[in-house]
Amino acid sequence: MDRPLTSLKGWYIDLEKREARPGELPDDVSRAFLGGRGIGSWFLGACPTADPLAHDAPLVFATGQLTGSRIPASGRTAISAFSPLTNTICSCSVGGRLAIEMRKAGADFIHITGRAETELVMTIDNSGVTFEEAHLAADLPLSEVFASLARQGGSTAAIGPGAKAGCRYASIMVDGTYASGRGGLGLVMASRNLRALNVMGTSRLTSVDRAGEEAARTDIIRLFDASPAIMGRSGLKNFGTATLVDLMASRRMMPTANFRRTYFEGYRAFSAPTLARHGRVTHHACHGCPIACKKRTDTSLPEFETLSHFGALNENNDLASIIEANRLCNEAGIDTITAASTIACLAEIRQTRYTGAALVEKVKEIVTGKGDGELLRLGSALMARELGVPELSMSVKSLELPAYDPRGAYGMALAYGTSTRGACHLRAYPIAHEILRKPVATDRFSFSGKARIIKIAEDLNSVVDSIGACKFAFLGASLEEYAKGFSAVTGLELDTQDLLRIGDTISSLERHINTLRGFTRADDMLPQRFYTEAGTNGPGIEIPPIDRAAFEEALDRYYRIRGCNPDGTLTEIRTRGIALCATR
Amino acid sequence: MRNQVEKYLNKLLAHGLIDAREDCALYGLDDEISTNLDRVPGEVERLFEILSISSLVHARPGRDLWRIITALCDESLLLITPRDSESLTFIHDIPVVDTFDPDQIACALNRRKGCIVRDSGIVTLGSVSVEQAFIVLSSICFACFVKYFSDILNTICEFSPEIRPEHAHFEQALELLDGFRPPSGINDLPARIPDTEEGIVHAMDITGKLMVSRRLVDSFFGNISCLKGDDLYISQTGSSLDELPGYIDRVPLDGSSTCDLTSSSELMAHLRIYELTGHRLIIHGHPKFSVIMSMFGGELPFGQRRSVGGIPVVSGEVGAGRRGLMHTLPEALVEGHAAIVSGHGTFLSDAASFSNAFERLSAIEHRCYETYFETLRKNGIEVP
Ligand code: SF4
Repeated sequence: MDRPLTSLKGWYIDLEKREARPGELPDDVSRAFLGGRGIGSWFLGACPTADPLAHDAPLVFATGQLTGSRIPASGRTAISAFSPLTNTICSCSVGGRLAIEMRKAGADFIHITGRAETELVMTIDNSGVTFEEAHLAADLPLSEVFASLARQGGSTAAIGPGAKAGCRYASIMVDGTYASGRGGLGLVMASRNLRALNVMGTSRLTSVDRAGEEAARTDIIRLFDASPAIMGRSGLKNFGTATLVDLMASRRMMPTANFRRTYFEGYRAFSAPTLARHGRVTHHACHGCPIACKKRTDTSLPEFETLSHFGALNENNDLASIIEANRLCNEAGIDTITAASTIACLAEIRQTRYTGAALVEKVKEIVTGKGDGELLRLGSALMARELGVPELSMSVKSLELPAYDPRGAYGMALAYGTSTRGACHLRAYPIAHEILRKPVATDRFSFSGKARIIKIAEDLNSVVDSIGACKFAFLGASLEEYAKGFSAVTGLELDTQDLLRIGDTISSLERHINTLRGFTRADDMLPQRFYTEAGTNGPGIEIPPIDRAAFEEALDRYYRIRGCNPDGTLTEIRTRGIALCATR
Repeated sequence: MRNQVEKYLNKLLAHGLIDAREDCALYGLDDEISTNLDRVPGEVERLFEILSISSLVHARPGRDLWRIITALCDESLLLITPRDSESLTFIHDIPVVDTFDPDQIACALNRRKGCIVRDSGIVTLGSVSVEQAFIVLSSICFACFVKYFSDILNTICEFSPEIRPEHAHFEQALELLDGFRPPSGINDLPARIPDTEEGIVHAMDITGKLMVSRRLVDSFFGNISCLKGDDLYISQTGSSLDELPGYIDRVPLDGSSTCDLTSSSELMAHLRIYELTGHRLIIHGHPKFSVIMSMFGGELPFGQRRSVGGIPVVSGEVGAGRRGLMHTLPEALVEGHAAIVSGHGTFLSDAASFSNAFERLSAIEHRCYETYFETLRKNGIEVP
């Protein structure tokens, strides 16, 4: 059966009743919110103050309209819910084959509410939705969960022992190693008693304008080829995200010792060239992606953030322990960034270091709950608060900072503050211009112009997450080429600026939802350390503390540009506009 | 922001893209608009309202350049499609609108980063900085120049005088050509590679500056590299050849570091050239007549060669893709140590002398300029 790439059909699932109701989103909703993260945020906007683990708060899997087309790097799924770690709205972009299987099964979105009485595995294919008892031990490693559920040609999203044990930063894993990592969405899935989701589809997806689709594809591939960050000698294609290790060290912005320093002498122990010698490296891709940035040997190799945080952040130069810590997190289904950062935080509180075997032991404790496990499962913000030293959690809105020190890139600093899911590098990804010089370089030690840059980039990335595309593609191509592809695939005449306006609606709606959940300007500030302590200087590089007044001025400018009051809430007129969109 | 506005206004002047400061308005927006004008025109305020952008440049190119652009607009009506490969890759095509009407301009800039406004010049935008708008503007000028003189040459050569279409611009083109003669002069670049890192950076810096001032490259295109021991020094991606200090990567040849993530997109081609030639420095520019003459004779199939003025011309796209120039260019440099990538630019390698490499880059451009004239003459056009 052929289906056009434009319509957004899906399923409303009530797990309590084991009911599945098919649904189609009205055209004006898909036009206003596209798909993916946009649709997730739209659904969550219907119950903005719900408790993350309340059974009527939706957990949404949603694809974008580019998925299934020949537009490169467009096979991502957005998973959205309220975060049990941060209490913010939260959406994660995840790879693997989930998005394409959902599209082919006619399930562009899956809206899940209710709690099953017994733990279930849900299967969706072209004939509908079925539920089965899971019958899986709570501590079964995810590799075994995937092995027992694998269906030929299908895709599986599952939670692991981390979520089953109540870890607040449990992830949802897809097809073995693709993580929907941040914010604890795995715990949301566990709270519904849903162990796994299997999807397999057979429809053929057809674009409206094949020639236009092909032309956009050619333009995009040419730009990938021209991008050193993607196809260069040290680009993502060859080394994956691990390639960033050397650069972050050389720029003196590698968070070290729970962000007390910004340079780790032992970084070469886990740099990309070292990893490349670790074994025969194979390259893996999300569906339809020529970049194939995922690297494996006999085990999945850690991403940059994981390497840096289990490495430098914990002052650990033992590669084997980093790889093992990563493997344990993947098997348990827990977020590596928060896990590593929480361990580093505990180490600072106790004035010790957890390196090598001791680091691996701490990760095991998170998984088993033994030793410090119960404490570490809280995430650094709640843990540090419970231990009476909240200032030692390096988080914004309770989400731990990833491996780009904000003192080394001021756009990144601002973006950590304004991101709607807490300290996230991907909501605006200023590393692209502040470090990787794409589309052009900006001064990383200046706030000049950054408020608008961050606002536009947030809107852009809202679009990227809502059409099913991957952010790394934008280190080569731009929205100009993707907009052309989007129009050709869907027949919707949306140009760059139309898409950015939609991105603005999505980003602003998310900010508004957070406001309704009690978040204020104070929650957009960085941990005190970044305003008072210097980083580590290097040859010709000085890393002073961030000038708090300059940060606040940039935040003020950002608010004005976003249409917010000085307290970070949307102005009344913006609120009305957003409410109008959200109540479609 | 105000500094950026001033900096790129000066660059537009220095690069000969505009004749006078009054011919250009630059705007950078954070929460307020910075500009070189006394006040922001209402139309521009409106554009900033409609478009989600951070910078805008509205410039009337220098007199002769503008004559070229308006001639192209007359022919192309709504859209100009560049011929050279860099422009096709990065700006795709150039919309043309009639007047400086915000809605018309927004309509064009909704899908492209720049457009030509028939009654007033070129408008370009950036989402990150004023530099972006400057780069797009400069790229549009380059694309139009190359297309204009290529089209003229192709039309003249394709048709014998009897059946040649009435072409309104032949005379104008011949008249303009003289003004675009590549500049000459002596160079005092180093004849040997300096021993220290500082010395190498300085040599690359003055070479880059000279390439820009002699119009052998627009500042943000092109690249330079130099080998010293086990390290390669290479300009960063998107760096301006007239502002290199601070923007040169030191890349260990043994691949022990991935810091070359920010290096020029031609890094792999440079490495291969060094491997094949044993040379120690490479310069790459986009001299306009070299680019124009490299395209003469039609599209060059991937893997094939031709020559212009004795210099090999190869095909190949930017970067490291399957059809990337790294697969075709290095072999072409082995013999003569110079080659042109069709529709893209010229690469030179040398064993030790920046001065030599520069001199040959300049000489090839002069030769291509002369070849342009000769080709016209051969086809029955009277040229001075
Ligand atoms: S670049 Fe990497 S993360 Fe992005 S789609 Fe491709 S394989 Fe997946």
